[in-house]
This record gives sequence, C-alpha cells and structure tokens, in this order.
Amino acid sequence: MRPGRLIGKAILAVAGFLAVFPLLWTALNALKNNVDIITRVPRLVFTPTWANIIYILGRDSVLTGLYNSVVACGSAVLIGVVLGLPAAYAVARYPNRWAGDIQFFVLSLRFLPPVAVAIPLMVIWLQVGLYDTLPALIITYSLLTISVIMWLAIPAFQSVPKEIEEAAFVDGYGAYSVFWRIALPVAARSLAGAVAFSFVLVWNEFLIALMLSSSNAKTLPIVASELSQQGMNVPWGILNASVVLLSLPPLLFLGVLSGFLNSVFRQKKT
Amino acid sequence: MARRTSLPVTFVVPTIAILLVLSMVPTLYAIVIALQNRELSTPDYSWVWLSNFADLFLDRRFLNAVWVSVKWEIVTVVATMVVAIGLGVLMFEVAGPRLRNLHCLLFIIPVLLPRVSAAFVWKFAYHPLYGIATYPYRLVTGGLIFDPLSKPGTALFAVASVDVWQWGLFFAVIVLKLLETLPPQPIEAARLDHAKRWQIHAYVTLPMLKAPLISLMFVKMIESLRSFDLIYVMTRGGPGVATETLDMYAFSQGFIESGKVSYASAMAVLMMIATVITFTMLWKRVQA
Repeated sequence: MRPGRLIGKAILAVAGFLAVFPLLWTALNALKNNVDIITRVPRLVFTPTWANIIYILGRDSVLTGLYNSVVACGSAVLIGVVLGLPAAYAVARYPNRWAGDIQFFVLSLRFLPPVAVAIPLMVIWLQVGLYDTLPALIITYSLLTISVIMWLAIPAFQSVPKEIEEAAFVDGYGAYSVFWRIALPVAARSLAGAVAFSFVLVWNEFLIALMLSSSNAKTLPIVASELSQQGMNVPWGILNASVVLLSLPPLLFLGVLSGFLNSVFRQKKT
Repeated sequence: MARRTSLPVTFVVPTIAILLVLSMVPTLYAIVIALQNRELSTPDYSWVWLSNFADLFLDRRFLNAVWVSVKWEIVTVVATMVVAIGLGVLMFEVAGPRLRNLHCLLFIIPVLLPRVSAAFVWKFAYHPLYGIATYPYRLVTGGLIFDPLSKPGTALFAVASVDVWQWGLFFAVIVLKLLETLPPQPIEAARLDHAKRWQIHAYVTLPMLKAPLISLMFVKMIESLRSFDLIYVMTRGGPGVATETLDMYAFSQGFIESGKVSYASAMAVLMMIATVITFTMLWKRVQA
C-alpha cells in the first residue's frame, strides 16, 4: 500500500472516530457517578450506575417534556403528511405555470429567520389565549412540516415512472385512485425518508418552542437545556443522561434516512 | 398527462392557502410590532413608526451582532465545505465499498442530533478541567488550563466547530455520492494523461460537480442562519458579546434583559429582509 493511501485511511479513521466518539463518551458519562466524571484524567474504567437514568425518567418535568414533544411533533408531522403529500403530488404530476413559483415559495419559507416568526406568533398566541399550549405549537410546527415534506416529496413523486400511472389510467383508474393506489405505494420509500426528515427537524427544534412555551407546553429540548441552567452544581451524569434521552429518537431514523439519501442519488445516476 | 380532473385544485389550493396564512400572518405582524413600542411587562403600546429602526443603527451592540453573524456565516460555510470536499474526495480515493458504507453511516449521526444535544456534548467536551477534548492539552502541557468557550478570541470558533462537526461530516457523504454518480471516462482520460490524483479532482471532477456543490453551499448558508440553539446552550452570546449573533441579541432584548418585544421584532424584520433578498437573488442565480 502506498504511503499516501495509508495516510488517507488514517485521516478517515480519525474522522470516523470524531463523528461518534463525543456522543459515545456522553452516553458513557450518563452511566457514571459524579466522582468518575469530575476527574482531570478521563476515566474509562468505572462502576456503572443506573441512578442518572432512573432519576431522569422519574422527573415529572422530563416526562411532561417527552409527552409534549411526542404529541407536538407527531401531530405536526401528521398534518404535514395529510396536506403536504397530496400537494407535492399535484405539483409533480400536474405542473402548471405556477409550479415553479409554488416550489420557490415552499423553499423560501426556510429563509425566514425563526426569531422573525416566533416573536409575532408569541404576541398573537398571547392575544388569542393559546400561548403556552400544545395546539399553538402544533400549528406553528405545521408550517415547518408541510413545507419540508412538500419540498422533498415533489422529486420523489417525479421519480415514479410515468408509464405505471399511464397504464393505471388506461385500466380505468381515476386521478385520485392513481394517487392512492399507484403513486403513494410506489414512492413510499422515498416518502418515508421525507417524513422522517421532517420529524427529526421539528423534534430538534428549539428557538420556537422556547419562545412559545413558559411552563405547560415545554418540549424535551427546552427541559434538557433548563437542567443545565442550574449551573454546574447539577450532577453531570444526570445532564448527560438527559442528552442521551433527547438524542435517541432522531437516531432511530438513521437507517431510514441513510436509505433515503442513497435512493436520491441513485435516481440522479439514471 | 393532460387529463381533466379536479385533483390539482383540491390537492394544491388548501395546502398553499394554509401555508400562506401560516407564514404571512406572522411575517406581516412582525412588521406591525416593529413599528410600535410594545413591551412584555405592559399591554399598552403606541405607534412609533421607524424609530426602532433608527435606534438600531445607533446601537453598538446591534452592529456588533451584525458583524458576529456575518463572521459566523462565513466561518461555518467555508469550513463545512472544506471539510465536506476534503473528506468526500478522500473517501472516494482510498475507501472500498464497505468502508464507504460504514463512514456514510457514521458521518450522518452528528447531523441527526438535536442542536441542543450536540451543544451539550461539546460543552462538556470543552470543559477546561474535566472535558475530553481539552484533555490532550492538559496532558501535553502538564495540567495547564485551556478554556476555549470563555476566551473572546476562540469562543466563536469553538461553537462553529460543533456546527462543522454536524454539517461538514454530513456533506462529506453527499460529496462522495455526487462523485460516485460521475461517469468514469473523464477520470480515466485524465489518468492516462498522467494527471496526479489531486489534479484529477481539482481540474476534472470538482468542476464537473460545480452546480450541485453550489447548491450544497446554498443549503448550508440557509442552515447556518439557525445558530441560535448552539450559541444559547454553549455561550449565551458570551464571553461579553463575542458570540452574540442577531437572533441571540434579538432574543435577549425581547425576553431575557428588557422585554422590548418591538425592538427585538425590528431586528428580526431587518434580518428577514436581508435574508429573503439575499437568498432570493442567490437562488435565481443558482437556477439560471
């Protein structure tokens, strides 16, 4: 093996290590007692404890945050699917002179600084009495999920071979049943990736949730960040455990999303 | 498929109508609030028109925030693209199919993490006494203290490193996939002409990928605007105002320090105008 190749492989190994090690280290710290974390020389060998994880899962604030996150993100994604997928299909298959404008409009929603949306929404929700409630959060997140799902689903529907849909029309299917029975199932894998992506996006969302909740509607990222605001006196193990809990749901989608990435680029090739 | 059907209308119109309402109401209302003098502590307000904007341009902290935001944008976008292209080309050159698959999986993990989690992971790692990332420095110097997050000169870069950790590695995967879609003939031709490996990439493959790479950079520029979570958790804009970006300053004006919602909204409106104009122009150029 040439030395250049060897160095290249070494760099890749280091990069791969850097990608996951900080997270693994956090997971390890979640299993440590405080004495094993606050050491000048990092400790790899220690007596593991479940105390941090049990403490986290027993806190009301964490459980409420978890519930709020699941309900807010789940509902917003559902709304995104119901409204976003049909619209994406129509833009992909029945393009008219506004198709380009619609796509640009959907993308441009991503340009809006979250602060610029969150400040007026806070005032609006305060005025209609929905501030710090889950419905307010769900409606706000729907803007995110609908636009992202639409943006990603348009190419997914476009990649469905037209011939299949034409054949269905010839067999006497109506436009709606072609969508339901042909386009949706055929594009299902890519669409699942788009939906998973929108879930990860709102699950990870922080600024809007921070501004639109004060006590009842706090999502998990807010609860986790508050644990740390109590200063460094908070046992580090507990903080690490809360970070792990917060990070697990998006990581569950690792497989779906990397498959989605592969399918996107395989389409480009052909 | 020019069939007469109601499908396009029933599928598109409700969704776009809802999106328009959900986006235009807050946007227009942000402008309305910015022209008033609302504060969180009192329900009273009056119209002050443009005086919030006039105040902003005399506010040195605001001007600092603009500068920090510009620095953040440049540092994170450039570093992300350098890391992505570097590692992407490296994977293309030295890694076999199995190693590529493994790295593609590993490199996606950081970007999936909530920003809050990523910020915590690295905040612990950068801890001057107990952090894992500062440990090598302590080991080499025999216990000297290095606290990257509390030095004005290094704080921005320390936070930016987390952003690059998330996006640079992820984009490396995309650069690799883009390289894999290229036809092999031009690379073979360059090889027959005795071009060196780096020359092949600098003069053949990367120029062929110019359009997708620019799109990728465009995406990163948009995502870099969302720096708030990282900065809020890691430094809260500190030390001093060294990492106080526009959204961080708007948030602290509106909520932490004084509750001046209108002032914060004026700032947000300026940000909105600047980003919408910049990105619309860039997008039209990318598409053209």
